[in-house]
Amino acid sequence: MSGGVLSAVALLAVLALAGGVFAQRALLLVRLVRMGKPSGIDRSDAVPERLRQEATVVLGQRKLFQRLVPGLMHAFIFWGFLALFPTIVIAMIGIVDRDSTLPWLGEQGWFALLVDVFAVLVLVGVGIALWIRKVVRPRRFEGSHLGEADLILAWITGIVVTLLLWHAARIALGLNEYGAGWSPVANVLSGMFGDGEATEALERVLVWAHVLLILGFLAYLPRSKHLHIFTAAINVYFGRTRARGRLEPLRFDEDLPEEEMRFGIGTVEDLTWKQMVDSMSCTECGRCQEVCPAWATGKTLSPKLLIMGVRDHLFTQGPLALAARASGETYDGPLVAASDDLEEMAWDCVTCGACVRECPVNIEHVDHILDLRRHLVMVESRFPSEAEPMLRDVERQSNPWGKPQAERAAWSDGLGVRVLQPGDPVPEVLYWVGCAASFDERARTSAQSTAKLLQAAGVDFAILGPREACNGDPARRMGNEYVFQAYAEQNVETLNEAGVRKIVASCPHCFNTLANEYPDFGGRYEVVHHTELLAELVREGRLTPTATEQTITYHDSCYLARHNDVLAQPRELAAAVGKPIEMERSGKRTFCCGAGGAHMWMEENARPINEERVREATATGAETLAVACPFCTVMLDDGVQSTGSEMRVADVATLLAEAVETGAPAHEREAG
Amino acid sequence: MVLTFVEHADGAPDALSLQALTLARGFADGEPVQAVMAGPGAAEAAPALGEYGVATVHVAELDGGYAPQAWARAVAELAGRIGPAAVVAAGSDRGNEILAHAAVMTGAALAANCVAATPGDPAGVTRVRWGGSLLEEARLHGALKLLTVAPHALAMEPAPAGETAIETFGPELRPEDLVVQVSERVDTSTGGLSLAEAPIVVSGGRGVGSAEGFGMLEELAGLLGGVVGCSRAVTSAGWRPHTDQVGQTGTKISPDLYIPCGISGATQHMAGCKGAKRILAINADPDAPILANADYAVVGDVGEIVPAITAELRRVREAS
Repeated sequence: MSGGVLSAVALLAVLALAGGVFAQRALLLVRLVRMGKPSGIDRSDAVPERLRQEATVVLGQRKLFQRLVPGLMHAFIFWGFLALFPTIVIAMIGIVDRDSTLPWLGEQGWFALLVDVFAVLVLVGVGIALWIRKVVRPRRFEGSHLGEADLILAWITGIVVTLLLWHAARIALGLNEYGAGWSPVANVLSGMFGDGEATEALERVLVWAHVLLILGFLAYLPRSKHLHIFTAAINVYFGRTRARGRLEPLRFDEDLPEEEMRFGIGTVEDLTWKQMVDSMSCTECGRCQEVCPAWATGKTLSPKLLIMGVRDHLFTQGPLALAARASGETYDGPLVAASDDLEEMAWDCVTCGACVRECPVNIEHVDHILDLRRHLVMVESRFPSEAEPMLRDVERQSNPWGKPQAERAAWSDGLGVRVLQPGDPVPEVLYWVGCAASFDERARTSAQSTAKLLQAAGVDFAILGPREACNGDPARRMGNEYVFQAYAEQNVETLNEAGVRKIVASCPHCFNTLANEYPDFGGRYEVVHHTELLAELVREGRLTPTATEQTITYHDSCYLARHNDVLAQPRELAAAVGKPIEMERSGKRTFCCGAGGAHMWMEENARPINEERVREATATGAETLAVACPFCTVMLDDGVQSTGSEMRVADVATLLAEAVETGAPAHEREAG
Repeated sequence: MVLTFVEHADGAPDALSLQALTLARGFADGEPVQAVMAGPGAAEAAPALGEYGVATVHVAELDGGYAPQAWARAVAELAGRIGPAAVVAAGSDRGNEILAHAAVMTGAALAANCVAATPGDPAGVTRVRWGGSLLEEARLHGALKLLTVAPHALAMEPAPAGETAIETFGPELRPEDLVVQVSERVDTSTGGLSLAEAPIVVSGGRGVGSAEGFGMLEELAGLLGGVVGCSRAVTSAGWRPHTDQVGQTGTKISPDLYIPCGISGATQHMAGCKGAKRILAINADPDAPILANADYAVVGDVGEIVPAITAELRRVREAS
């Protein structure tokens, strides 16, 4: 046999081995994902939007560039590997016959240059990665598999260095198909080699080393966190395309096939396929951990550790469940929540979504957490006991504090607000007040201000009064999907019967539920937040505030800014009444007040989130802390008192009402 | 035959256990009902069970006071020996704890908080979930079923049984059964009065100023025969334990008189004290929402008002 045939046989053998080892693991992963339950939302629609996500988030590395230096690091390595991909084939051809190459591409000088440039960029990327991991050592890596990351970086270095040296040896031997000048780095390196037999042998060694490293990497990848190379693109494609604040609804309909029935995440068999792909996509980069308010205040939850916990559980219990199914038995494994600290973590979450926004591979952590809660609440009846009165009061009294429903409109006494009765003509805008602004003393001011402003601007609006029930968000975020869906159906019926088309909501949580979640239950309305409507009225000149010298820092509510992109309008209002100053974490990067995810009705472990946020606000030196959410109002006002800050906490609507009252109401002026 | 674990105090069976016996007799459906008791004073309390349909009372001879695993071992061993269709207990802290241990020891299924049960295999049980907002129908399989009965869901129905035999037995314990046992009893400073049931509650909020500031509230509560509570801000600050918190996420109280001192009266707090019959609020801020919810209000500094009330109470009592 000639050397070429021998090499070809040897190459085929290692290809088969590496491919086999890869396929064995890949097959298991595919079988696991196929076992997954259906996702609660349609993830096959909106193909153009999904392709756009793929182009920006995967190819464009958009979310990685949310942090410049780590973003560059990853982009160099990622783009480098895309550019270097054909060199794998070229090297394999080179193994069989050192005088052949990939037709056309292998002979192009510009491609040789491209390879040189990107090989160097990959090495620069590895250098930055090492600098981040060994020198900067950010806290986001706490709990990640650090040794594994080092191994992968070493592996990447090995692949690229052998590639460059192989090219250098070929240039030294005059085997290059293109002018050596196209390949400046390899050309310089070729100076190390002679053109004798030693270099000839070394050329063989280098090309084999290069290919073996790549094939070894292939076999190792699906067993490591580097699996994301294959799963991340899939995960991004099937991620949420719109309405990030919308939770996946559970289906309780009786005609649902039993194998699709799930009450959140009980055992591994209840994970949706998307949740499985989520967990397989995690690279343990810890960006989620770094922005998580629970982690920042010393709680057990880290979104990263949670997803790693789900993944570990999937990889240990998943194969057992598959085996049980294969032999026709019933799988009877432990709860996912029972592994590690997952149960405690699930209760620490404020559903602020900072982790989801930050994640470079679009993992949807909040869905995992909510599904864990759903099972604990609806099946195990196990949840922080102090939240029980809230759940009971929402269910029985249709508000979380157990206030009499008949007093729902009491906040509007003396304001002359129209309460919509059955059969009444539909107002232009329905004002959805929400439980907090209806019943909580501090939050009521915001409702009163909003009502006065709408009156001053001459907006035709009405409230539902006692016919407005809790939208169900506190129960839903606590995990009680039954109660939520009962309220969703009831409220949608009320709204549809009244013929409501446009709704203005005071509370970002109501706003999110009405706008993004009620469509799942047949309620489709144009929903705006009060800051959006009020900003529009100011822009149109229907409200004319007089600005003062007061300095204002605006705190973005998670459910407005991050979940629903309402950023500009509250700022417009703040600028119209005073002098705005931004906090460090603002806009979509806002830091939660601590009340989300039903934490308004739970006790807090470790350090209080609201105090952390108030300290940040106080540091701006602003006199007023403006908010646009009744829960933020209560949490931050509490935080101001407990930290001894001097700031005044007030809803943007209240600040606007004060600034409008100092001037004459616009429509009166016109009339007069 | 159905076996019931009966708790007792001061030589008499517990009301909750007698309620459990009502369910046990129904479940026995004419078959005899037996009882098992343990702890000091069991033998004195046993004869009273004849009035509630118990034919035989088994008294476990165990040294010392309450030891959950040891008592559960006695129940499990007896059940293994006499083979009842079910073991029933009150859904009290103790009843639930003992049957939970017994469930592990016997491998039998336990349904807690039942309000009704029908015999058979599987047996049907109706139980309270969700803090009373949901009734669950469940089926219980296995030769032996363990049930605890929701407190105050059933009446203590007398059913004289004639002669009641009392038999003692000495269960064989394992070393691990005595890992948990009562070593000492300490009465609380409130004289056993719980926050939820106290007729008078004196609560402090952030306005009290410090953990030490609660001394004057303790004094006032002591004079009035009440207990001390607090707001969420106080437990968050670590001045008082969470068990003292009155509010949405703490204890819900319904005293005859509630005296919130330096508490603004946030919705979260009012949700916990809306059951109070009378509220006397003391607060320095005339705009505090608590004043609008109070029957009587004193606007002023807690540090001045509370000691003044205490001094006046003392003077009046000494004079009378």
